[in-house]
Amino acid sequence: MATTLSASERREARDQVLTAGALIGPATIFVAAGLLVPIAILFRYSLNDVGPYKQMIEAFTAANYLRFFSDPYYTTVLARTLRVAVTCTLVCLLLGFPLAYVLARMQSQRKNLFIMLVVLPLFVGNAVRAAGWMALFGSKGVVNSLLMRIGLIDAPLEIMYTEVVVTIGIIAVNLPFMVLTLQSVIEGIDRAVEEAAFSLGANPYHMARRVLLPLALPGLLAGSILTFILAMNAYATPVLLGGPRFVMMGPLVYNQFVQQNNWPFGASISFVLMAATIVLTATANILVQRRYRR
Amino acid sequence: MGFAVDTRRLGRWALNAVACIAMAYLLVPLVSVTWLAFWSQEIPTFPPEGYTFAWFGAALAQPKFVGGFLTSLQVGIAATALGVALGVPAALALARRGFPGRGALNQFLLMPLVVPGVVLGTAIYVFQVEAEIATEWPILGSVPGLIAGHALIVIPWVVRLIGASLAGFDRSIEEAALNLGAGPWTAFFRITLPSIRPGIVAGALFGFVTSFGNLEMSLFLIAPGMTTLPIAILQYLEWRLDPTIAAVSVMQIALIAAAMLVTDRYVKLARVV
Repeated sequence: MATTLSASERREARDQVLTAGALIGPATIFVAAGLLVPIAILFRYSLNDVGPYKQMIEAFTAANYLRFFSDPYYTTVLARTLRVAVTCTLVCLLLGFPLAYVLARMQSQRKNLFIMLVVLPLFVGNAVRAAGWMALFGSKGVVNSLLMRIGLIDAPLEIMYTEVVVTIGIIAVNLPFMVLTLQSVIEGIDRAVEEAAFSLGANPYHMARRVLLPLALPGLLAGSILTFILAMNAYATPVLLGGPRFVMMGPLVYNQFVQQNNWPFGASISFVLMAATIVLTATANILVQRRYRR
Repeated sequence: MGFAVDTRRLGRWALNAVACIAMAYLLVPLVSVTWLAFWSQEIPTFPPEGYTFAWFGAALAQPKFVGGFLTSLQVGIAATALGVALGVPAALALARRGFPGRGALNQFLLMPLVVPGVVLGTAIYVFQVEAEIATEWPILGSVPGLIAGHALIVIPWVVRLIGASLAGFDRSIEEAALNLGAGPWTAFFRITLPSIRPGIVAGALFGFVTSFGNLEMSLFLIAPGMTTLPIAILQYLEWRLDPTIAAVSVMQIALIAAAMLVTDRYVKLARVV
């Protein structure tokens, strides 16, 4: 192949690769230095020992990981985080798919407005949205006051600082990601396929199960993985809605790292969190793809 | 036939109902915090005793929020400039055909958005600790350190949105300019740049909003005594909820909504997100 090119053509091809390299090089180096190197250092820290005053001692030990898995406090936090993340992902799928479908089949002018209404909460920040839930669910908040006024309850319900309110908060944070991911995939599915299923006598349930969902599967998988990762790593929502009593993995990493100043242990929790997220998403990916492979 | 139409109508109705619930669910916290910002009493006990604009003034009188806003603005602008400077050439290179490893590099440059915020924060923190020890420069807790960290999460937006706007760009126009005697710089500034401008504006605004709202990474990278707006809001809310913090939230919502409307003039949001 190379022999059929003239010398000038070869030089031109090489120049093009060099130009492309010069263009993309700085960004690639920046991301590698800012992402891969830090994660490698963090992993090295997680193998270090902890001194009596929580100072870091150079070592090569699995003690931090063993400590995490042998203390029920930490394994409970991990189990709780997994439970919340799974619930949030399922609810996001159930609520997100219909909204994504309606948006995907909408006409352009109104659609843009609705997309903006989905994106706005995403960009507004988690703390601001948590403030909204706090105003609703506090002991003297809107929900409790209304329930007491109509006489359904005598004393305010404890909604704040529970698993329920944290789950509600994280679903609201993650739903836009699910909707946007699904929306772009559903847009790529030809409407004629749905009409064909209907004209062949399928009812809406069968059409969705046998035609729409299999075609939207890549989007369902991508959206669920993204939602699951975000829920596992939530920070502001569990801190504000869960308070000090309802600890999840994200706040735990911050506590160990910054407040307790225990870097090796904080680094190992960070890696347990990352590993749990990656292993579970990879497993889900393989299972779903095997289930639907023909 | 009549029966089939009825189940379709029923299915359609159920779908729309769930879609409405989902949409309402997304907007409820924003509506709720906006409502609270106008309540006249300081302790947010429902029902409101009356309505006032006073809390907006109270919010602006708090140096933490104003200072945090200015820090977030400064860091956001600098990080966006750095991210655009690095991201635009990368997006241009990625749009060229026949360049080896294109798909993998694209995925790699999008990675900072996928790595969880808390992990990214701890990782960059230890990196800056090591860098400070190695170079003896004050990196940790410095504004440039924070800017560099934020630039990392701006780059994916720039690469992604410019990539989207380059998808419809015909390279032969650029080649025609080169053949007609334009230098590579002239061709870039006169042909390529004008056609990717919407992508740059959208990428920069999305990147800025991401940086401005970032909480997890900033928590690790700020020095004691320094604050950004999201951190100031979080710390205030950990202590108490009142109409003042709701007013701060409303101002942030308004600012971001304005940024989105501006972006929308350049690139239709429905096409890029």
